[in-house]
Amino acid sequence: MHEVSVMSNLLEIVTATADREGAGTIDVIHLRIGEMAGINFDSLEFAFEILSKGTKAEGGRLEYERVALMGRCSACSSEFHPEDLVFRCPECGSGGVEISAGREMEVDYILLDEEGS
Amino acid sequence: MHQINVGEDLRERNREIAAENHEMLRRHGVFSLNIMSAPGAGKTSLLVKSIPLLKDKYRIGVIEGDLQTTRDAERVGALGIEVHQIQTGGVCHLDAAMVHSALHQLDLDLLDILLIENVGNLVCPAEFDLGVDARVMLLSITEGDDKPKKYPLMFTESRLLILNKVDLIEMVDFDIARARREAMDINPRIEIIELSCRSGAGIEEWTGWIEKLYSESGVE
Repeated sequence: MHEVSVMSNLLEIVTATADREGAGTIDVIHLRIGEMAGINFDSLEFAFEILSKGTKAEGGRLEYERVALMGRCSACSSEFHPEDLVFRCPECGSGGVEISAGREMEVDYILLDEEGS
Repeated sequence: MHQINVGEDLRERNREIAAENHEMLRRHGVFSLNIMSAPGAGKTSLLVKSIPLLKDKYRIGVIEGDLQTTRDAERVGALGIEVHQIQTGGVCHLDAAMVHSALHQLDLDLLDILLIENVGNLVCPAEFDLGVDARVMLLSITEGDDKPKKYPLMFTESRLLILNKVDLIEMVDFDIARARREAMDINPRIEIIELSCRSGAGIEEWTGWIEKLYSESGVE
């Protein structure tokens, strides 16, 4: 359940942004979550329900999009989706593969209500 | 309603503190490892078996991460080395901030190698960089050979995979070749050591690995 720690961090980020923008409430928090990020959205939502109480995000909606897992070969630069989690380049066979997408765990954007306090 | 683009990674704060930890450890000449596994895979036994082989040559310190109790710290502390216990109070992993406070309570000038035993958990610790030189994971063969593909993140993040409890190989249906192959699918650069804390087989290969990384790390 590290989703609770992640959520407290998330709420700090979005409430600070809302304060800076002078907004009253945060209506939507849109996340990008990688296919291979070690996070469960349902647990995150559960943590949101509890931890957002009394903050500008209370009553807001948490939504997310999945980012597909992609590898990039350090030898030949080709990009590919690692089928069955095999991180070996299908073009040149090299094992020098970096994860180029799919580890994301980020706040993409938020929608704020301007009619705030 | 208006949209504000944020674009901030939720692990960023942890990364910043991890970078501070790394800088602090390096400044004091300390080489560090983060040891991760599921509960019961043998992290504490590994420390208890291997520290006696290292402690005459290096000054060793240990940070023990546990949800509750100081049992692991007592087992390791009996070896006569410096041990600091972190009780996470229910949190399923160590994060960089917890380790940061612990670093302030250790006398780092008196250490060469710091071994951090993470909370037993095959998922969450993988997402939290602590600022160490390398991450090591244990998989005991009683856990099953299907674990690499089921819990890939920890295999991605680890430089070394230790297959523990290999003395039980006749008693369990664990295909070592399959586990090796699947771990290397996920992380082709991962190094693998087969070992048994109970029989002592492979322990010297493990301490040799630590010594090799220590000398390559350039800490002084």
